[in-house]
Amino acid sequence: MDWSLVLPELIVAGAGIGVLLLDLFLAPEKRRLTGYASLAGLAAAMVASLWLAVAKVDWSLAAGADGSPVAAGFTALGGMIAVDAFSVLTKLLFLAIGLVVVLLGVDFAEKRKLPVGEFFALLLFAVLGMMLMAGSRDLILIYLGLETTAISSYALAGLLKDDLKSGEAALKYFLTGALASALILFGMALVFGGTGSTNVTALLGAGVTTGQLGGAGNPIALTGLVLLVAGFGFKLAAVPFHFWAPDAYEGAPTPVTAFFSVGPKAAAFAVVLRIFGPVLALGGSAGGAGAGGLAGAGVLGVLFAVLAVVTMTVGNLTALAQKNIKRMLAYSSIAHAGYLLVGLAVATPRGFAAMVYYLLAYAAMNLGAFAVVIWLNNRGTGDEVSDYAGLGRRAPVAALAMLVCFLSLIGIPPMAGFFGKFYLFAAAVEANMAWLAVVMVINSAISVGYYYGVVRQMYLAGDGAPAEDHGGAETGAPAPAEAASTVKGTPLVGLALGLAVVAVFALGFLFEPLARLARLAAGGL
Amino acid sequence: MSGFPFLTLVVFAPLLGTLALIMLPKARVESIRWAAAIFSAVPLVLTLVMWVLWGRTPAGAFGMKFAESFSWIPSLGISYSLGTDGISFPLVVLTALMTFVAVVAGWKMIATKERAFFALLLLLETGMMGVFLSLDYILFYVFWEIVLVPMYFLIGIWGGPRREYAALKFFIYTLVGSVIMLIGILALYFLSGTGTFNIMEIAQAAGSIPVAAGRWIFVALFLGFAVKVPVFPFHTWLPDAHVEAPTPISVVLAAVLLKMGTYGFFRVSYPTLPGAAKYFAVAIAALGLVNIIYGALTAMAQKDLKKLVAYSSISHMGFVLLGLAAGTQLALSGALFMNISHGLISGMLFLLVGAVYDRTHTRDIAKLSGVYVTLPVIATILAFSLFANLGLPGLAGFVAEFFVLAGTFPVSVLWVVLAALGMLVVAGFNLWVMQRVLMGEAKKEYAGLPDATRLEIFTYAPVVALIIALGVAPGLLMRFLNGPALELVQRLGGM
Repeated sequence: MDWSLVLPELIVAGAGIGVLLLDLFLAPEKRRLTGYASLAGLAAAMVASLWLAVAKVDWSLAAGADGSPVAAGFTALGGMIAVDAFSVLTKLLFLAIGLVVVLLGVDFAEKRKLPVGEFFALLLFAVLGMMLMAGSRDLILIYLGLETTAISSYALAGLLKDDLKSGEAALKYFLTGALASALILFGMALVFGGTGSTNVTALLGAGVTTGQLGGAGNPIALTGLVLLVAGFGFKLAAVPFHFWAPDAYEGAPTPVTAFFSVGPKAAAFAVVLRIFGPVLALGGSAGGAGAGGLAGAGVLGVLFAVLAVVTMTVGNLTALAQKNIKRMLAYSSIAHAGYLLVGLAVATPRGFAAMVYYLLAYAAMNLGAFAVVIWLNNRGTGDEVSDYAGLGRRAPVAALAMLVCFLSLIGIPPMAGFFGKFYLFAAAVEANMAWLAVVMVINSAISVGYYYGVVRQMYLAGDGAPAEDHGGAETGAPAPAEAASTVKGTPLVGLALGLAVVAVFALGFLFEPLARLARLAAGGL
Repeated sequence: MSGFPFLTLVVFAPLLGTLALIMLPKARVESIRWAAAIFSAVPLVLTLVMWVLWGRTPAGAFGMKFAESFSWIPSLGISYSLGTDGISFPLVVLTALMTFVAVVAGWKMIATKERAFFALLLLLETGMMGVFLSLDYILFYVFWEIVLVPMYFLIGIWGGPRREYAALKFFIYTLVGSVIMLIGILALYFLSGTGTFNIMEIAQAAGSIPVAAGRWIFVALFLGFAVKVPVFPFHTWLPDAHVEAPTPISVVLAAVLLKMGTYGFFRVSYPTLPGAAKYFAVAIAALGLVNIIYGALTAMAQKDLKKLVAYSSISHMGFVLLGLAAGTQLALSGALFMNISHGLISGMLFLLVGAVYDRTHTRDIAKLSGVYVTLPVIATILAFSLFANLGLPGLAGFVAEFFVLAGTFPVSVLWVVLAALGMLVVAGFNLWVMQRVLMGEAKKEYAGLPDATRLEIFTYAPVVALIIALGVAPGLLMRFLNGPALELVQRLGGM
């Protein structure tokens, strides 16, 4: 047993426990240190992951496969841990997300009197769960990772103890999350019953791709998979399993919302890719995805295509009506989950690679947008869209950063979001599913409406009127503007914002190497 | 000199200007104005140098001059490829000239947030230049989309009362059009099987695309381009955008932005999918004729001077479509000529309408009369521009319309007759507006208004000179257009 294969996970787990212990011994005013300790832990885990990527991952395996699924990579713990290109890449993404969220959270936690130590420890445990989810080919460990993340997340959502909305967020998240877990567990049980193995690779030979429920294939395993789609649908906040998301996003402390919108979601996508990717790809090539439309992909392909269309459309249309920026970003993230699902519906190596790339791009641009929200919130601006009036003059840098992130979310070049959408478009058109690309186009156009609602407030509204008239006072922002002076160290949020904005551009300019990485990762699923 | 990166400089010099302007302190308005003028003069000077060198520069692959190419995303066959030929070069010169004119016109007209205004205007120029010079579809698309963002803010911040509505409408219309175009591009990429996004290479290999798929792709590309042109019924954003936009932006919008759409037809749709182009020829001719006649009739009904010019643009762009549909060398040359002549003339008209508005604070045709008396210099130039607009022989507009009609005649007499009817209406509204605005009794409240300043004369002079020069000596421009037009005819005929 080579324990170095799980070094990043061990570091994150150790850091989580360390933060809890540290919190015990620190005076309340010094608890910021737990945040720095978390940063150090996450950074160390990133270094360890990079080391794994260089020293242990067999890139040639992934490269040689180039699309055809590979049964085994490096494994540890009796085949439960998979160290391959996909897991290393996604783990690095999760760790980076964790890092940025800690940066976003330090000042916020202090200002809003969050229990600092618990906050960071829970965050680290959630990241640990995500890493386990993405790094395993075994349903049991995937489930354990899922629950580790989920339970940490419920507590994170409710951290604002004095805020009723935060409690509501936690309860709603917990109830739907429990239901989702039950569905997933039941689905996994059926998959085990149908295939005789908890290893996801067993699905490949199980005949679930022939497509007819109750037909010649493997109806038990197929039913299990359909239940898994529903269960993970909750985790992805895919429509119609999305009802918890807006309330949880609005009520949770904003850095936690930022985390929810990218972290557990990305992990859920990683698992879905792990479980369904190879199966769908098999169905695609067997049934001939080239034959056009949905016919080739079987029941599961149809399911994902429908989910994609419904999710992006409902997410975008509902976002149009939102007046609270956190709620708006919640629906926007639902819409983006819809775009991501296109990759699964397409079910080609290019589609999966596009998903991996889009996850990177989405994490950067969404965290950037949330960084602006938190930055402003720390300075006393409310969370209503109308609070952003005249921001272009009051806080030109923050407004510009928000604009960049929103343009990227819309998919305007040369930002990362464009390349992500472009890659997904390309995958869809290549697989003869141009209609799906057209649906995405229409949705992108709808999304302009709400992103530009904010842009309009920032740059076009409040012209002529003094900016101070709009600044949070009228909407009863939780923190009055005078409190802004007591916030020190907002540079951390600035740093997170800077990282995100740089990433939004860099991911675009580095499309070639990153797309190749994504291709390798997806090829070795 | 062949190694000198002319085109990269032409594209990115304005972007450097944008960055330089951001560095300048907001309050130093005079430096900001000068910096903007200088950075917009750089592409102008460079394009003039290229014009001088044109004959001596050997054409590279696909007849492209000054070509540059670097690999960008090799795994998908995307490259940073720039190049120019007879189709794009006149548009590049037009862009450089009209942006410079717009910057100088904005010196006095823009009185708030000057730094942001000029920075965005220069960013817009980078986008437009990139569109005309890109030889790679993805690069083309990137620049195409970059144009949207500054335009949104330029209309939305400095525009008239309904600016927000106009800006958002512009943004959504063009975004939808362009993303549909992107899907068409992707389909071209996969179906041509070339493994490259190079526009010219795909055009060469596009014969392998199945006929039905080619037609769908043609429609997808058409939608993207048609929104920009704009082709009826996708034109409704244009009058709104024009009316609300500040004068310099109206100038750029009419002179250059609309040409991105027609350029797309010439660079992409027609050479790549000649079969589909011929298949849809009658439909495109019909749309062109609707544009000509509907635009002219609607222009006649306008009460707002700026809206009148906007609808007149729609009418003129119809001639470009008609020329494309006819597909003879004469008609295609005429359509390409129309790109340039309309760019000059409509830009001029918007400048003058802006000048009149700045002084009288109204664009209401009914409230204006006797401008000849109150503002003799501006009125004279406005009369000149309106005559150019109605197609007076000896001026640039006439040449374009004449070539299109002469080239269309062998294809369909009916089209020519209908277009000629449209021209009658065009002549009608131009003369009528002259009668109502320029002549008549001078309004007392406008007495004593200052006439054209030296700065204004300076901005008008080069455009007026070009309108006359191209009218008297069309060969100046035709030497660029004949080659590409002939090549296009061969492609169309080869099907």
